Amino acid sequence: MAGVANTWGYGAMTNSLNDMRHTKSMIFIGSNAAEAHPVSMQHILHAKEVNNAPIIVVDPRFTKLAAKASEFVRIRPGSDCIFIMGLVNEIIQKGWEDKEFIRTRVAGFPEMAEIATKYTPEEVENVTGIPAAQTRKVAKILATNRPTSLTWCMGGTQHHIGSSITRAFCILQLVLGNMGKSGGGTNIFRGHDNVQGATDMGVLSDTLPGYYGLSDGSWKHWCRVWDVDFDYIKGRFKEKKWMNAKGFTLARWYEGVLGEEKISQYTPIKAMIQWGCGSNSNSQYNRVVKAYNKLDLFVIVDPFPTMAAATCTTDNVYLLPCASQYETSGSVTSTSRQIQWRHKIVDPINGCKDDYSIMKELVGRLGFADEFYKNIKEVPEDITREINKGTLTIGYNGQTPERIKLHMENWHTFDIETLQAKGGPCDGDYYGMPWPCWTEEHPGTPILYDVSKSVAEGGLPFRNRFGVEKTYDQSGRKEDLLAAKGVYNPGSEVKGGYPEFKDVVPGTNWKTDLSQKTLKEAVKRGMAPFGNARARCVVWNFPDQIPIHREPLHSPRPDLIEKYPTYEDKPNHFRVDTRYKSEQSPDLAKKFPFVLTTGRMVEHMGAGAETRSNKYLAELQPEMYAEVNPKVGNDLGVRDGEMIWIESPEGGKVKVKAFFTERVDDKTIFMPYHFGGTLMGESLAGNYPEGTEPYVVGDSANVCTNYGYDIVTQIQATKDGLCKISRA
Amino acid sequence: MKKIILPGCILFLAMAGLALAQSSEPLLTATYQQINTSITGEWQQYGQLFTQLQQFMFSRLFLLVVTIVPVIFFLHYIVIGPMVFDHGGKQVYCFNLFIRIVHWCAALSFALMLLTGLMIVFATFIGGGSIVMMGRLVHLISAVVFAGSAFCMFLFWIKDMFPTFYDLKWIIIMGGYLSKEKKPVPAGRYNAGQKMWFWLATLGGGIMAATGYFLFSFPADINILRLSAIIHNFLGATMVAMLITHVYMSLFAIKGSLGSMITGYKPESELKILHPRFKY
Amino acid sequence: MGRMKFLCDIERCIDCSGCVVACKEGNHIPVGVNRRRVITIGQGKPGEKSISVSCMHCADAPCIAVCPVDCIYQREDGIVLHDKNTCIGCGYCFMACPFGAPQFPSGQVFGARGAMDKCTFCAGGPEETFSANEMRLYGQNRIAEGKVPLCAGMCATKSLLAGDADEVADVYRERAFKRGSGANAWGWNKAYKKK
Repeated sequence: MAGVANTWGYGAMTNSLNDMRHTKSMIFIGSNAAEAHPVSMQHILHAKEVNNAPIIVVDPRFTKLAAKASEFVRIRPGSDCIFIMGLVNEIIQKGWEDKEFIRTRVAGFPEMAEIATKYTPEEVENVTGIPAAQTRKVAKILATNRPTSLTWCMGGTQHHIGSSITRAFCILQLVLGNMGKSGGGTNIFRGHDNVQGATDMGVLSDTLPGYYGLSDGSWKHWCRVWDVDFDYIKGRFKEKKWMNAKGFTLARWYEGVLGEEKISQYTPIKAMIQWGCGSNSNSQYNRVVKAYNKLDLFVIVDPFPTMAAATCTTDNVYLLPCASQYETSGSVTSTSRQIQWRHKIVDPINGCKDDYSIMKELVGRLGFADEFYKNIKEVPEDITREINKGTLTIGYNGQTPERIKLHMENWHTFDIETLQAKGGPCDGDYYGMPWPCWTEEHPGTPILYDVSKSVAEGGLPFRNRFGVEKTYDQSGRKEDLLAAKGVYNPGSEVKGGYPEFKDVVPGTNWKTDLSQKTLKEAVKRGMAPFGNARARCVVWNFPDQIPIHREPLHSPRPDLIEKYPTYEDKPNHFRVDTRYKSEQSPDLAKKFPFVLTTGRMVEHMGAGAETRSNKYLAELQPEMYAEVNPKVGNDLGVRDGEMIWIESPEGGKVKVKAFFTERVDDKTIFMPYHFGGTLMGESLAGNYPEGTEPYVVGDSANVCTNYGYDIVTQIQATKDGLCKISRA
Repeated sequence: MKKIILPGCILFLAMAGLALAQSSEPLLTATYQQINTSITGEWQQYGQLFTQLQQFMFSRLFLLVVTIVPVIFFLHYIVIGPMVFDHGGKQVYCFNLFIRIVHWCAALSFALMLLTGLMIVFATFIGGGSIVMMGRLVHLISAVVFAGSAFCMFLFWIKDMFPTFYDLKWIIIMGGYLSKEKKPVPAGRYNAGQKMWFWLATLGGGIMAATGYFLFSFPADINILRLSAIIHNFLGATMVAMLITHVYMSLFAIKGSLGSMITGYKPESELKILHPRFKY
Repeated sequence: MGRMKFLCDIERCIDCSGCVVACKEGNHIPVGVNRRRVITIGQGKPGEKSISVSCMHCADAPCIAVCPVDCIYQREDGIVLHDKNTCIGCGYCFMACPFGAPQFPSGQVFGARGAMDKCTFCAGGPEETFSANEMRLYGQNRIAEGKVPLCAGMCATKSLLAGDADEVADVYRERAFKRGSGANAWGWNKAYKKK
């Protein structure tokens, strides 16, 4: 998301699942939608059938999604960036780029195109294994079947250059002119029905809710929203500097406990609350287990004990059973930025409490209930209202609890093709009022960056987030970053680009004006509160200003490391020193000859604590396995169904069943990451509280996933590690 | 010497056949496939055959067997009548205690299997449900008892049951049962009819047990199950027919012969006519 | 009312087993009994296809033909149901069925099979409609409520269609037409429209 946000202002799926019905071609890269998002397939297959839209699937495996594809492209894990830039280059060489769109709404194009010339189809073949002819073919399919919908998921982001890869995806869509159009867009599928909501609410260590970041201005804004004193909040930190410093990430929090790597914090982490966290979805899982057992206090809040409960064998673990979504209510934000309401249908059973109650108990005992619940009397509706009040950046203002519930009650009045209600109580609204929804009359924004509609009707230009002018380091060229004359939403006062709104209420801008006068003023004038700018191909605040290929940290191609080396080591990367160059060795591939990649199965979800405790899902997929190409198996002397050891360079070992299939090629091993409950083949079922052990246990794939983290976001690079396999 | 040659030849040929089968496995398989295909067609192998046989043939076949066969014997009884022998005179000890007990175990269990088997075939007339399910269990238990008994009988009697060349003559004259005369017939300790019954009851019984086990536990591929059902039904009908024959022969056709399986003794006068080659 | 039929559109089936789990959950089926299964052919290779199979409620049902207790019957609307109280668990229906639809819960006396269980098209059984016995023995009766079976209702891609045969055929025909099969496959579009 960081890559997307830094290209044009917001990091989210730009169109909607329903909108994909209008696409004329689709490309999925690093997405197995048939297994990870099965319900979305109805829209995808609709486009395939009704529009005759070709589906291009780019994946190291022939997945269930690839089975529905008209063109399957097998790619070496971690080489997505060069493939996409190769497509960009091919499109530019053939003159298929959308020149008008680029001229008026894109910045940094010539600088980017210059870099892209290095990525010829032949070089792409050398690095990715994709035949040059296929790269050319894919470029042609995309160019001749616009608009294209581009989708990626974890397969695109979970690399150490994930932030570059996602930017490359955006650049491709900009070059083709597919942004802001129905049937186009960068349509990232988030992992479940509230991942978008979680990131929007800032459940991250480098920002406050609404992507405000951690600057003083952001803290002050939220203090005003929460109605608490800024100095009071400041006083909660040991020193002021920690208020503005990014914290640890989910990917590497355990290093803060273990103290084996250098951390930039005055104390190791002593206590941990895992609130709705799957545990074994963390890479380097051996180290996670070690950290669990070193904590002074460990609290797990979950409807299921999770693997954390089984692997942590110390005495200071507290399991707080919390309720499922059926036993509580609240709002959720889907991948299409739509807000929905979950209703409570039963009271919490078996002595569990819902999250709000647990929070209340905790906050009460910690002594800041008065400040915490200052304006929260009715839970959860008042929380939603507080969000409506303060989350101005992404336009969470119009989705009041009343409106959300009204949408849920009148589901049937919304049109499946356009998402808009035709008549009825929600007439004119888009289902779920996709953010940004600037006011309580605003219908929501179904397609981001769509300049064919007025802002009041859900249209938007690109956000002015990066200044009004830039002189590029690469070329010395100066460029105006606002949109060109003639690009504006219908009804806009300014018939061209304009900066973000500020000082409508003096001393504030559109993000900090709590009276929301700025937002209303902008919409009234037919303009977007966040400005009308160009999307940028050059991101000058990233280590790689233009996306380039770098070999995965653990590269199976030592010959390419010199040409495409990784970054310098990064100290204090989210408070822990992170290795890049010192981790990349050309010798590793000799001892660990197979590429290890992980992914999802349709029958299980996430870390698997819930689905492996469901008898029917357990019946469907009861065993942990690794997908092994029959040739690899035969070379190893293993039979289909025999147990094998898979070992990582860090010494992580798992014992799994070999599943012979042609899904993977002879250089790749795939493991699903949903299993847990055993370690190195030994069952931990006895460690679970009585009666709560899952029906199915198996080794966790993340014991073997390698060291590797994105340079910007520190997301774990679980898609392109190395491993070796042997008979068990 | 003579007694060994014929059975010995047959045994040798059987072994040779087996050896040939083992060595030229593909040949057998190909031949088997051809025969199988020509009988049953290719798709679904036995599925269609089984369905048609079960729908149209099996219950009718059983009905025929349990009605026609007794009728035929009834007619024989009134037209030709039983053979009567003088039960005074010398008695020959033919069946020892062990084999008599085994025989009656087999008889009782066979009767139960017959009854419950017919219950299953005609289950729709009994209304199905738990009665027939109970019947299936009794069928299973009786089958185990019968299998054990049949195995004992097989070992005990096999040396007397090998075919001889005069058995063919016995078959041609139907053992003399079609005439009212009392002439000696070509038979040793056991005549051709008894020998055929022996082999059917033991080997046939074994096949019934095997196919029956398959039908009860479903341990194999579905086409093997279908084949088992087909064999079990046809062979079962045959065994029912032969049992009725055996019951008629031993209870009615030869007066007083039931006694030999109770006391173990047969009268010499009977042996001179029915088993003249038997050297006691 | 025409005959009730299932049709699984293999171009749309994504092998998610949603139909399988919906049936098991909705009808409280014991683990080990599979009224519905998804079969995948050509797994991992181009041309991979999946199909969801259950009792097909055949017009000339082989199971009805072979049942020794005649406990299987066919309704006016074509749905094939059976009476578990009459069933003797002999397994003939399983042997006759080309689709492997009859299922047997295991673990009875001497390992004998219990009464047969199979897909009921969510139309219950011979017991009184909506009674507790019907739910316990056969599962839900959605047909009596005017709803489609759980599996078809669950299918996200609408690959599994269930209902009046004429309507199902119409839906499928539309799809086949749009996809370009039959006469459309080798016409102008295929020859001259570039992809």
